[in-house]
Amino acid sequence: MTRTHSTVVAAVLASAAAIAHGAEGSFEQRVAANAAGVVEISNVAGSVQIAGWDRAEVEVKARYDADVDRVEVTSNGGRTRIRVVVPRGRNSRSDADLRIRVPRASGLEVSTVSANVTARDVTGEQRVKTVSGNVKSEFAAHDVEVKTVSGDLWVRGKSEPASVRLSTVSGNVRLDRGAGEVDAVTVSGNLDLDVSPARSVRVRTTSGGLEFRGKLARGASFDAETISGDLSVRAPAEDGIEFEISSFSGDIDNCFNLTAERTSRHGPGHRLSGKRGDGSAKIRMRTMSGSVDLCDR
Amino acid sequence: MGSNDSNQQHGTATSLRELARSVTPPRDLWPDIEARLAQERAAVGGARRFGSLRPSRGQWAAVAAAVASLAIGVWLGRSTLPTAVPVSAGNTATATVAQGEPAALQAAYVSDPRYLQQRATMIRSLEAQLKALPQQTQAQVGASLATIRKSMQDIQSALGRDPGNALLQELLVNTYQDEMRVLTAVHEASDAGEEI
Repeated sequence: MTRTHSTVVAAVLASAAAIAHGAEGSFEQRVAANAAGVVEISNVAGSVQIAGWDRAEVEVKARYDADVDRVEVTSNGGRTRIRVVVPRGRNSRSDADLRIRVPRASGLEVSTVSANVTARDVTGEQRVKTVSGNVKSEFAAHDVEVKTVSGDLWVRGKSEPASVRLSTVSGNVRLDRGAGEVDAVTVSGNLDLDVSPARSVRVRTTSGGLEFRGKLARGASFDAETISGDLSVRAPAEDGIEFEISSFSGDIDNCFNLTAERTSRHGPGHRLSGKRGDGSAKIRMRTMSGSVDLCDR
Repeated sequence: MGSNDSNQQHGTATSLRELARSVTPPRDLWPDIEARLAQERAAVGGARRFGSLRPSRGQWAAVAAAVASLAIGVWLGRSTLPTAVPVSAGNTATATVAQGEPAALQAAYVSDPRYLQQRATMIRSLEAQLKALPQQTQAQVGASLATIRKSMQDIQSALGRDPGNALLQELLVNTYQDEMRVLTAVHEASDAGEEI
């Protein structure tokens, strides 16, 4: 074997050994982007950190594990796609950590399996989906939709009216400084919602609890339903509230000194309804065994 | 408040007398849904032979639509009924219909063989879909589905004692929708894992 051949063989063996031991890769690319375009990101595991900036460019920096094939960045017609490619059937070491800068007014469409997602300083519409990844996101006046199966959601607005839709199966949900319309659904996660002013709030849980704080706008509607979770609502309203609360076997408390009436002479079931002020905002809550606590201050 | 409620009850009782005693949907939605499902099955038949036994996206949508339409049917039935109709000599017949009808609607919803068949298909494919998800997520989804099913049992058990309870009717229908939402979420999640 000549000296040259030996060197080549050694290099190949070294590469193979590096791959076998899980060598990491890195990636960096910057592409021109529409200032108000859409940035679509997909990643399996690891993390996705997105930040807005004042340039009409998308910058991607990535570090990834051995099983990641590559990171692709493509741009076409106002849409920039960033995709972590993992060969099928290989996901034991497929973490990729993405740090992405996007034009501030960009819309975001993010999809991950277990990768956590954070987004800040981005003002466009956001649609984020994960399976088990946690999501921490800031938004402004544009619509936001975040869905996860078991990940936790922490979404923070700027008290500007927007449509916010949050959905989990078992993950907890926290919404700070929301305003406008909120639709939150979970099975067993807990919901902690701060919405002011709220125009429309719809909440549904199976066993998860709800803590709601927020001022209800004139003509607002608030609808919450749970089977066994507890509902706690602190909702002052400028023009008063009209409320109807029903529970099959849960307690109904309030700060109005009102007593819930029985709905049946022979079985369980209570209902509390009433009006405060002009009753402009409508509140409706229903539970099977969960307790309800309503106060307008 | 109290007078308000009283007025509302009077309004409901008056309109109830004007309503038909049974609420029949304008048409049976299942034949169309089944026809669509059959078409889609035929269209993806080739692909299925290569091992994929999962319902297509269209089938999931069809089942979701079926559940939604059934839910609307139950809701319509429920919304025509007062929560508490005072039974007196003058309105005995109305009260009998009011208490019997939701139970019939509920039974139709829960025991419709086509719905049960589709639900069973979704649950069978759920196991395979769950395997594509992280282990912790599998456990959490399992726990959430168990919570939903326990809720269904609790509500059905309570309905057994109070069959005309409109609140329980509504909660039961929505809990079935919750189950469908979780099954769909798992389906989408496993798809997302594959697509990514």
